Amino acid sequence: MIFPSGSTSNTAAQAAAGEIYDAVIVGSGISGAIIANELSRQGKRVLILEAGPGGDRTLSGYEDYLYRFYAAASKDNQAPYPPNANAPMPRSSDAHKITPGQPDSSAYLVQNGPFATDTTYTRVLGGTTMHWEAKVLRMLPEDFEMRTRYGQAENWPVNYRDLDPYYRMAEREIGVSADIDEQKYLGMTYPEGYVFPMRKMPLSYLDRQVDKGIRGTKVELDGTSYELKVRSFPQGRNGIPNPDYDGGNGFVPVGAVSTNQVEEGGRCQGNNNCVPICPVQAKYNAVKTLAKALQTGRVDLLPQSVASKIHIDSASGRVTHIEFKTYRDPKSPDFTTGVARGKIFVLSANAIENPRLMLASELPNTSGLIGRNLMDHAYLLSWALMPQVCGTMRGTNCTGGIVELRGGSFRSKQAAFSVDIHNDGWGWAVGSPYSDLISLVDAQNKFGKSLRRDLVDRITRQLQFAFMVEVLPSQSNRVTVDPSYRDQLGNMRPVISYTIPEYTMRGVAYARQFAQLMFQRLGAADYTAYDPSDYGYVTYEGQGYAIRGGNHLAGTHRMGTAKSNSVVNSELRSWDHENLYLAGGGSMPSIGTSNVTHTIAALCFRSAKSMVAQLS
Amino acid sequence: MPSSRIKSVEELRHYLYLAMQLEHATIPPYLLALYSIRPGTNSDAAHVLRVVVVEEMLHLTLSANILNAVGGKPDLTTPGFVPLYPAALPDGETDFKVDLQPFSKDALETFLHIERPGKAPDEAHRLISRKRESGAMLGVCPGETDLHFYSIGEFYEEIERGLKHLHEKEGAKLFSGAIERQVTPEFYYSGGGELLAVTDIKSALAAAHLIIGQGEGLGGEIYNKEHELAHFYRFEQLKLGKYYQAGDKPGAPTGPPVSVDWDAAYPIKTNARLEDYPSGSELHAAAVAFNQSYADFLAMLTAAYNGKPSLLLEAVPQMFRLRNSINQLIHNPIPGKSGVNAAPTFEFDGVVAKPSFAEEAIA
Repeated sequence: MIFPSGSTSNTAAQAAAGEIYDAVIVGSGISGAIIANELSRQGKRVLILEAGPGGDRTLSGYEDYLYRFYAAASKDNQAPYPPNANAPMPRSSDAHKITPGQPDSSAYLVQNGPFATDTTYTRVLGGTTMHWEAKVLRMLPEDFEMRTRYGQAENWPVNYRDLDPYYRMAEREIGVSADIDEQKYLGMTYPEGYVFPMRKMPLSYLDRQVDKGIRGTKVELDGTSYELKVRSFPQGRNGIPNPDYDGGNGFVPVGAVSTNQVEEGGRCQGNNNCVPICPVQAKYNAVKTLAKALQTGRVDLLPQSVASKIHIDSASGRVTHIEFKTYRDPKSPDFTTGVARGKIFVLSANAIENPRLMLASELPNTSGLIGRNLMDHAYLLSWALMPQVCGTMRGTNCTGGIVELRGGSFRSKQAAFSVDIHNDGWGWAVGSPYSDLISLVDAQNKFGKSLRRDLVDRITRQLQFAFMVEVLPSQSNRVTVDPSYRDQLGNMRPVISYTIPEYTMRGVAYARQFAQLMFQRLGAADYTAYDPSDYGYVTYEGQGYAIRGGNHLAGTHRMGTAKSNSVVNSELRSWDHENLYLAGGGSMPSIGTSNVTHTIAALCFRSAKSMVAQLS
Repeated sequence: MPSSRIKSVEELRHYLYLAMQLEHATIPPYLLALYSIRPGTNSDAAHVLRVVVVEEMLHLTLSANILNAVGGKPDLTTPGFVPLYPAALPDGETDFKVDLQPFSKDALETFLHIERPGKAPDEAHRLISRKRESGAMLGVCPGETDLHFYSIGEFYEEIERGLKHLHEKEGAKLFSGAIERQVTPEFYYSGGGELLAVTDIKSALAAAHLIIGQGEGLGGEIYNKEHELAHFYRFEQLKLGKYYQAGDKPGAPTGPPVSVDWDAAYPIKTNARLEDYPSGSELHAAAVAFNQSYADFLAMLTAAYNGKPSLLLEAVPQMFRLRNSINQLIHNPIPGKSGVNAAPTFEFDGVVAKPSFAEEAIA
């Protein structure tokens, strides 16, 4: 995919100020990229403001990120991306236990607690898809009707059937590898003859070993029996194209992006550092879509430009312009202020940055819901050693899992979950394989052959389940701003208040029991231990659990049926400002048990249609 | 149409076998140049080399598909299939030598030579008669040791003529090979250019065109019909310091700059031989082990090209292992030879593939 040379330097802030664009988009992640591409293909002029560092995307520039990751001691989600005080990013390593009454302001996110989240998002070209795992799950039909079916959360103003065509558009854009028959469960349906663009990623040997051990096991919840098996996950990474896709036209995978022609990334190679960064760009990132949008010649891009204030006309409520700060050097606090004008405006930062910008701009807030109902999946990890060698560490990160408990009547009482089998072993839980190496060398004085043997023995039997547990909206979980907390450019930082709801904790407690049952079936030795000094430690009914964030941020400008109960309508248009759209997870009223990106992408395709209609 | 030298299916099969040998012969020199680049440097050059070498593997497989289609049996385990380097390639009236050497300006010149479009000035000059020099010669005229083609392009031109000629003579009967022996895209991924099954004259000519188009380009065009830059022009970008982009004319790229650090390569021994490594040394053992693994790998490919295409999926991790073995050699200096690093030797005299692979190959 060719990234048009000069795209990140062609547009001068002054020149942009002289034009009234059809649309001004804040953020170049998957939402901004899809909307920019859809609008520009309809002949619209678009300006994108990106807070992150500038420069055209080249293959060697991408490799700079890759080598930075390889060289980093901490392999966290932000390891490839240099710190940038002008557009700071939360890092999982920032999270500390919070003393009640004392907000932790030591890092970019100011945390009021009581729960300290280690959630992250990435502020570079391509946004958080530059570190995502690329699991592309649709939400279940029942996820859209939680109130009606289970008396929980709120119904969505759209349902599964409404979103299906847009899910399919997102599956094409992202390039999804999955098996259609395997993805027909818990009510998910597809049009007759539909297949995914590419064939599914094969289950790993580890997945198959787990499947062999647990297949047919039944668990009972709320009077219903669920029979378990391991199923492959739909993935946003390139596999073997399905010749039956698109009525027999097939599919051409989109590989690596660069200003020159490169042939790379057309297939996943099974490297195991998908998170944070695929070495060959077989994993989708939003720059692939952004490059397409830039190729139209109708999209201008201003990097290193942080949107700082939204201005509105107080009589009509319409947005008149967005003020932004352009910095020359990430290390220097110097900036110049620019102005972007357009017919419509789209905020597509993320569910923390979108409300942060709106609150910092003191926009009217009729529903009072801007920044409220912040959600992120609560992850519970459980880890064990399998009795036999399972080839752990052969990628990709995650190919299979257990999805039977994503839905069911038990959701009237406790959270649903999806279970990932991690091909990278205990990496997330304890830092394998590096931690294994350190302990064998430092604590057991191993070297040479015996070190190699023990490493292989220990690592290739590692099994880690990651339970992605549903979190429902709660108004007190929220993003606010406080003028006393600002970043280097003087923009107000997000202030987070967050508690893991009890509904979720019931699901967490059940997840732990479920893991123990699975380990028993597999004859695996349970090594799970939750440390009370862990920042994510939460107790529930006398037991303690360490909770991790999923970086699946949502809820903070939810969609709904009326001005009083929501911030945007089902087309992501703000109730208070008729020319403002709020894209991204913030618009989702609930998150079910799907990684949010797929639904975000589908909603953007749907919203882009309304934008085109509004513009003509 | 000018007359064809290829008069029988047997002759055509012989040509196609030589085509496979020729395609394969480019792989060791390209791979060594690629792997000799120091990690983290020369991103532009490394990617150009990687694309080209991957497409040579595609050409090898396409040639196997054509050979299978006309009832042949690809065999990469025949003694002499891999030339002993330096190998000689035809270049008009003379030969040029292809060394196994580190990434360098010299190596690039050789690569440009390999991929250079070369049309004989006239029909009379398509074949050059000349006493053979020593060393493995590629692109010769089968059965006539002192006769070679003006260029690799002319060699493929002959295959094309032969295909057309025999098809006129024999019709669909020419394509007698079983369809199950074709390697199809589900078993193979190349990057640019798609593998196609060869079942008739149309697909056979398309396969031959893809090989030529990706290599030297067709009719003076720098991009082929899949909008892919031909190998010659990919390499030329390194020499000219600029990338080509759509609309450019040969020799005048106008795209983004290409930066090359000619010194950022391991100083590997050119055309290394086992005897360069002290006997009993770890290097010697590693070089012997590499030759064995490579022979096993060729046996595996042979099996894949003889009705077991799914073996190509297993060949992928095998190739990662080969890469690791090559890196082991080229990252290590040769004892007693200051400033010269080891390299795989690609010597196969007396090397027998592991029985498991050999049996698969025969079966």
